[in-house]
Amino acid sequence: MSCPDKFVEYMHDFLDEDIAPENERELRAHLQTCQACETHFKELKKAVAFVQSTAHVKAPDHFTAGVMAALPKERKKVEVNR
Amino acid sequence: METIVNSRISQVLKGDQNAYGEIVELYKDKIFQLCYRMLGNRHEAEDIAQEAFIRAYINIHSFNQNKKFSSWIYRIATNLCIDRIRKKKPDYFLDAEVPGTDGLNMYSQIASETSLPEEELESLELQETVQKEIAKLPEKYRTVIVLKYIEELSLNEISEILDLPLGTVKTRMHRGREALRQQLRNV
Repeated sequence: MSCPDKFVEYMHDFLDEDIAPENERELRAHLQTCQACETHFKELKKAVAFVQSTAHVKAPDHFTAGVMAALPKERKKVEVNR
Repeated sequence: METIVNSRISQVLKGDQNAYGEIVELYKDKIFQLCYRMLGNRHEAEDIAQEAFIRAYINIHSFNQNKKFSSWIYRIATNLCIDRIRKKKPDYFLDAEVPGTDGLNMYSQIASETSLPEEELESLELQETVQKEIAKLPEKYRTVIVLKYIEELSLNEISEILDLPLGTVKTRMHRGREALRQQLRNV
């Protein structure tokens, strides 16, 4: 790809929702005319959508009980000593 | 949410251990999910997520209540995951015989650990592909990608969790996305 690196930078700034308006205009205009950069941008968006497509997972049922059972007991002693 | 958490933390600090259970309940799914996506294995994820909550409990007196508890527990869990990834080495081979099992190898161990009901509903194949591609990312890129796109945190929160300047987080995010893009061209 022979385009200036700044366009890839702009793509990432765009994906971070942190792009200056004038840079966004420049990027959009460039994507209209450059097939290679347009493909690059699409691939980046695809990569993001791909990661976002993972199912949400939940902790196992006994998780909290497991943590509570594993906590050191010292605090109870502190209470008794008071 | 932070108000509830802070009042529970005050109770814990006064010696009420049970109040900690409520804090665990509030964050367990997020922390387990982070560990699962970082490590790619439920058993390890559960171990590390539990360890994170235990460490947070032990160090609760050092938590600054003016800050977000979620960022703090995320930081503890993230550091534990990174330690685990770094220590992990291929110290066994899948086709090596498991001692004392008369011919069983590690493949047969894995087979018994397949899908869970909630995941069967999803396209299992896609889920596995995503997990595999995330696991290929170097750990510093994997961390920011998981925090941003799976835990849905802002770049500012990620910068706080990782104790890194915002600019560094952005650079890693950019490189992480580029790495994923390269990997996914072949999917």
